[in-house]
Amino acid sequence: MKKTDILELVSRKLAPFMFLFGLYLLTYGHLSPGGGFQGGVVIASGIILLSVSRGIETAEALFPSFSLSILETFCFILLLAAGLAGVFLGVGFLGNPLPRAAAAGVPRVGMILLLNILVGLKVAAGVSLICLRFFREDE
Amino acid sequence: MIEILLLLLFITAFIALQLKDMLASVLMLGVFSLLSCLVFFLLHAPDVALTEAAVGTGIGTVVLIWVVHKTGRRDTT
Repeated sequence: MKKTDILELVSRKLAPFMFLFGLYLLTYGHLSPGGGFQGGVVIASGIILLSVSRGIETAEALFPSFSLSILETFCFILLLAAGLAGVFLGVGFLGNPLPRAAAAGVPRVGMILLLNILVGLKVAAGVSLICLRFFREDE
Repeated sequence: MIEILLLLLFITAFIALQLKDMLASVLMLGVFSLLSCLVFFLLHAPDVALTEAAVGTGIGTVVLIWVVHKTGRRDTT
């Protein structure tokens, strides 16, 4: 595809901020709008923007397909383990087995932060893997 | 406000269906997605609005533009 300078410059400058915004959505999903899926999709669209602006090889060098696939599988297994930990500790699937610390000023998160981060990494790896594979078919 | 947005949604969807240029149609679908994101936000569903903005406007448009690039731009039917 033919690219213009404006597209390349803007998307190259914009991709790190998209990663940052995606991580913000992941880690603050229990307090504000956002959460695992949304943050993961924003991170994946940052990777896609990088692959559109800098070429598919650069994105593949930064995020290799093999490690993305390993990350996705590993996050899924960890998510299942985090869900089953509640079963074994008697609070039900995806329950919160952690003790609720009553620190002042700190919101009580429990397992939701961990689950959000795991779901977000899994969604980011999965969606970017699909799109990178899809774009590479064209070469 | 929501009624105006729903009317705009209808108009953009109709234009996206009627256009013969596939690239313009995909971009009109992106505009549709952005407007529906605004509707979700006005209906106090910011989570759904975020999902719509990220998936519909971001990834969906990119994937559809790639499909248009691979298949052809004109609608010949």
